[in-house]
Amino acid sequence: MTHTQGETPLVSERQAETQPRINVVILGAGKGGRALLESFLNLPRIHLIGVADKDEKAPGLKLARRHHIPTTQDALPLIQQPDIHLIVDVTGDPSFSQNIYRHKHPNAEVLGGAASKVLWDIIQHESLMQTRLFQAEKLAGMGTFASGIAHDINNPLYIILAMAEAIQDETDTASIHQYATSIRDAAQRIQTISQNITHYARASQSEESFPVPVQETLDEALKIAKFATKFHEITVIQNYHDHITIDSKPEELLQVFVNLMINAIHAMENQGLLTLTAENQNGVVLVSIADTGKGISAEHLPKIFDPFFTTKAPGKGTGLGLYNVRSIVRKYKGELTVDSQVGKGTIFSIVFPSVDPTHK
Amino acid sequence: MTEGTAGMFSGHNTKGRVLIVDDEPDVRKVIKMALTKAGYDVIEAEDGEKAIAAIKEGENPLLLDVIISDIRMPKVNGVEAINYFQQQWPSVPLIVLTGFPDMEMATGFIKKGIVDYLVKPVEKEKLTAAVAKAIDQREITRL
Repeated sequence: MTHTQGETPLVSERQAETQPRINVVILGAGKGGRALLESFLNLPRIHLIGVADKDEKAPGLKLARRHHIPTTQDALPLIQQPDIHLIVDVTGDPSFSQNIYRHKHPNAEVLGGAASKVLWDIIQHESLMQTRLFQAEKLAGMGTFASGIAHDINNPLYIILAMAEAIQDETDTASIHQYATSIRDAAQRIQTISQNITHYARASQSEESFPVPVQETLDEALKIAKFATKFHEITVIQNYHDHITIDSKPEELLQVFVNLMINAIHAMENQGLLTLTAENQNGVVLVSIADTGKGISAEHLPKIFDPFFTTKAPGKGTGLGLYNVRSIVRKYKGELTVDSQVGKGTIFSIVFPSVDPTHK
Repeated sequence: MTEGTAGMFSGHNTKGRVLIVDDEPDVRKVIKMALTKAGYDVIEAEDGEKAIAAIKEGENPLLLDVIISDIRMPKVNGVEAINYFQQQWPSVPLIVLTGFPDMEMATGFIKKGIVDYLVKPVEKEKLTAAVAKAIDQREITRL
C-alpha cells in the first residue's frame, strides 16, 4: 500500500518511475567528478555506466568502486560503448574533448566545457542547500532531544542535591549511609546518560563510509530515541536475524534509525509495540521499524517524504525528518518504503544492497 | 499569611496535608523530607492511578490540602492525572514538579489553574513557598 492513493505526488518521483533511464559516463573523478557522482547516485533515473580518470587514486573512482560502478583509467574504450546516452566531461582538459568526439559512439551526447562547469556550480549550490536542510532538522531535533536529556538528568540531580543537604543536617550514621547510597545510585544514572550522549557525539565525526553493524546501530538509536520521547509503556521487539553490516557513515545510519524510531514512538502516543527487524534476504539487507500507532492517512501517505511536509503544529516540526532520512538511504543505494494503516500502525522498510561478501 | 490555620480544617496537627505523586521513590523521599521538616503531613503515591485510588479509597479529598505531581509517569501519567484531579476535586490546589524545563508546558498548566510549575532540582525554600501559597489558595476556596 505504498504511495498509491490520492494527491499529486512529487513530479520528479513519478518521472523517475515511468521515463526510461539515462546511461551516463563521467570522465574525470577529481573533486568535481566526485561531487557529480554523489548527486547522480541520488537520481534514480540516471544509470552510471562507468567513471574514468587517469589517476587511479582519484576520489571519484574510490566512491564509484564502493557503489559497484565500473571504473577505468582509460576513457576511450568506455566511451565507445553503444548504449551510452550522455558523457559528462569534467576532466578540465580542453585537448581531451576533441578525443571524446573522435571516439565516442555517434548516439552519445557530450556535456563538457562551460556546460559542465555550470552543472558543477548547480551541484555545489544544491549540496550547500542540502547541508543547510540537514542542519535545520538537526537543530530542531536537538530541542526535543535536549529536553529529554534534561528530564533524565534533573531527576537524579534533584536526589543528589537534596540528599547531600540532608546529610549536612543529619547526625544518625545509618541515615547518612542510606542518603549516600541514594546519591551514588543517582550519580551512576547520570553517568550512564553521559556515556550515551558522548557516544552519539563521537559518532558524528567519521569522514568515510565503512561497514557499519546494523544491530548495534539500532540498539544505539533506541537509547537515543528514548531521550527524545516519552518512553513508558512501549514494548520493544528486536528481530535481529543475522550479523549484518551496511556500508555507510555510522552517524548517518544512526540518524536514519533514530528519526524513524522517534516517529514510531510519537505515533504510538506512549503505548504500543515497537518492532525492529534486521535481516538478510536474498542478498539484500532488510531493516524495518514497525509501530502499532495511529497510522498515516491515505491522504498524507504520498506526501510524507516531501520536504517541509509536516502534520505537527507550527514550530514543532521542520517537515524535513523523513525527507532527510530518505536522502541518506538513497545515498547508500537503499530504498525506503512505507506501509501504513490508520488505527493499526506503520512500518518503514529499508532495503540496502548487501555489501558484505560473506552474505551473498 | 494564613499558614498554620489549614490544620484546623484538615483535622491534623500540621500546617497541611500534601499528596506527592512521583514514580521515583527517592524523589518522593526528598520531597517528603523537605515538607515534613517544614511542618506538613505527607502521603505518597507512585503514579496517577495509585494517587486516584488512594484519594478515592481511604483519603477524604477534603482532608487533602495540596497535590504535588510529576507529569511523566507510567500507567496514568501526570497530565491525565492532573486533568482528573481538577475535574473530580477542583478545590484541591495542584503543583507540578517535573524534570522538564519546558516553558510552553508550564504556561499551559498555569492557564489550566495549577498553582505552580516547579522544575527539578527545586530548592527546598521554593518548594515550601509553593506549598504555602497553594494552602493559602485552598483556604480561600474553603471560605
